[in-house]
Amino acid sequence: MPLRRILIANRSEIALRIARAARSLGMQTVLAASAADRDSVAAREADRTVVIGPAPARASYLDARLIVHAAKSTGCDGLHPSYGFLSERSSLAALCEQEGIAFVGPSAESIEAVGDKLAARRLAKAAGVAMTPGSAKLETAEDAVAFADEIGYPVVTKASAGGGGRGMVVARDARSLRDGFARASIEAKEAFGDGALFLERYVERARHVEVQVVGDGAGRVVQFGERDCSLQRRYQKMVEEAPAAALPDATRTRLHKAAVDLLASINYRNAGTVEFLYDVDRDEFSFMEVNARIQVEHPVSEMITGVDLVQLQLRVAGGETSSLRQSDIAPEGHAIEVRILAEDPDRNFAPSPGRITQWVAPRGEGVRIDTAMEVGASVPPYYDSMIAKLIVHAADRPRAVARLRDALDQFQISGVATNLRLLRAIVGHREFIEGRFDTRWLETVLLPSFVGEKDS
Amino acid sequence: MTVIPIQDIEALVRSFDDSDWEEMRVVVDGLELFLSKNPADRLVSAPVTTGTDKTLPAPAPSAPAKSNSKATTIDVPEGMVMVRAPNLGTFYRAPKPGAPPYVSIGQKVEPETELCLIEVMKLFTSVPSGVRGTVQKILAEDSQLVEFDQPLFLIDPRS
Repeated sequence: MPLRRILIANRSEIALRIARAARSLGMQTVLAASAADRDSVAAREADRTVVIGPAPARASYLDARLIVHAAKSTGCDGLHPSYGFLSERSSLAALCEQEGIAFVGPSAESIEAVGDKLAARRLAKAAGVAMTPGSAKLETAEDAVAFADEIGYPVVTKASAGGGGRGMVVARDARSLRDGFARASIEAKEAFGDGALFLERYVERARHVEVQVVGDGAGRVVQFGERDCSLQRRYQKMVEEAPAAALPDATRTRLHKAAVDLLASINYRNAGTVEFLYDVDRDEFSFMEVNARIQVEHPVSEMITGVDLVQLQLRVAGGETSSLRQSDIAPEGHAIEVRILAEDPDRNFAPSPGRITQWVAPRGEGVRIDTAMEVGASVPPYYDSMIAKLIVHAADRPRAVARLRDALDQFQISGVATNLRLLRAIVGHREFIEGRFDTRWLETVLLPSFVGEKDS
Repeated sequence: MTVIPIQDIEALVRSFDDSDWEEMRVVVDGLELFLSKNPADRLVSAPVTTGTDKTLPAPAPSAPAKSNSKATTIDVPEGMVMVRAPNLGTFYRAPKPGAPPYVSIGQKVEPETELCLIEVMKLFTSVPSGVRGTVQKILAEDSQLVEFDQPLFLIDPRS
């Protein structure tokens, strides 16, 4: 049965985005907000807002019981977690299942199946998905060295329980692996409460590519093309585009199939992303992880396919299974997204909370802004610093890049420091324009020259 | 339930004040204590306006039945103390259905006197008065949803 009223368990641009998608499907919305967000644009957009707790996320957005209680008490039959916060906690999905509320996400079982990286690797292996040579869980540094001797250096350690770069150390020989192993394990333990590590071959020139899929929970999984998200700083994506221009067509086809096979093998329901590392020199991709949620960068896939993925999530969560057909998906043109952050690149990316005093956003054909900001809106200090996503779409990549440069030039934000100047530097850089970059380009090439430019 | 002596709470507040910590949360049995140096986190006894009123357009006709304006602007009279909801939950005035309410208007209360229960997914937490005084007003309705920071009881500490 289609959902009638959903609780939105999130904030900022994605809460607003979900509220609008729900409304266009005739659903009512209740926003569960923290005290810091009670007067936000998303709160204005929702049919009703309930303040669930104080500003700190762990007493509000990270409390699953508060959120489910709010959903029940306000008569919601669905709950959308969006991204971040509790979106990939199987406990929230389980609590919703138990209370008869449709979770706009995968089943608790699926979240567990793909949430742990080692479990996900086993799943990928069973589905025949290509993988970088990697180890099972390693107990000691000596086990790691023995494994590295087998697959050859360089290698990288990874945390079993999570991503975001924590628990990752690159080692080019046994000595640096021994040193790095302990450090990585402590880091993983601090970040995820679990110090378990595994080891993978390290790819020198890599691109981050990922496939957007939606599954209906009844075995059908459709892909909406891939994205290239290689421009990252400290494993945080900053620029994302679709399609991934660096991929040969044959590789692209195999990549899509791998993603669909993997998630079809667990009857996946909801929007999901399968992330891969693409080895440019070998023309090989290998499985990294599954993100069992809608992602920040979903708009670039929407722009090239013309499909509203959030609406699709809501329809699938309501039990609709007939609307997914691969033959309906025909990607067109090229789309690029940049993340606008309230961070100051001149002060080592220090967060810059405050109140927006000027907000002039670009407009025009093929330009989309996903934001909950406006003049007078506040950027609270408690949460993620992303304040907007600027997305452009054009017939091909060169035209999309040109459109993005124009749009960035028009963007004016005052009241908080932003990374706009850095984004302009990226988009104006010859190597970006020519598509010659990998996952380390931003940190090793662009940022040093950007900082140097400021000093000169 | 253990009753935490007020001296212990005062001691906690003092050490928090002297520390360079931003915030502190203590949960012991039914007591939850949240201390923060951020003025935006202020929970109790501050004569601030609160509420989730929409500042802009009225809800569409299709809006859910319950009003969006849960807590209207309430002026806390000079010298009075407002006890507010520590989090969202269902408000209960009595320990169980049919039982007499914890407190009524005009009743004298001590800082540790329980005023109500807030239920979140079958977990009941009692809310103590926090001050000595007389209950002047009861601002939430029994077994209704209350939001974080919503005014619940007005206490006059001078009487």
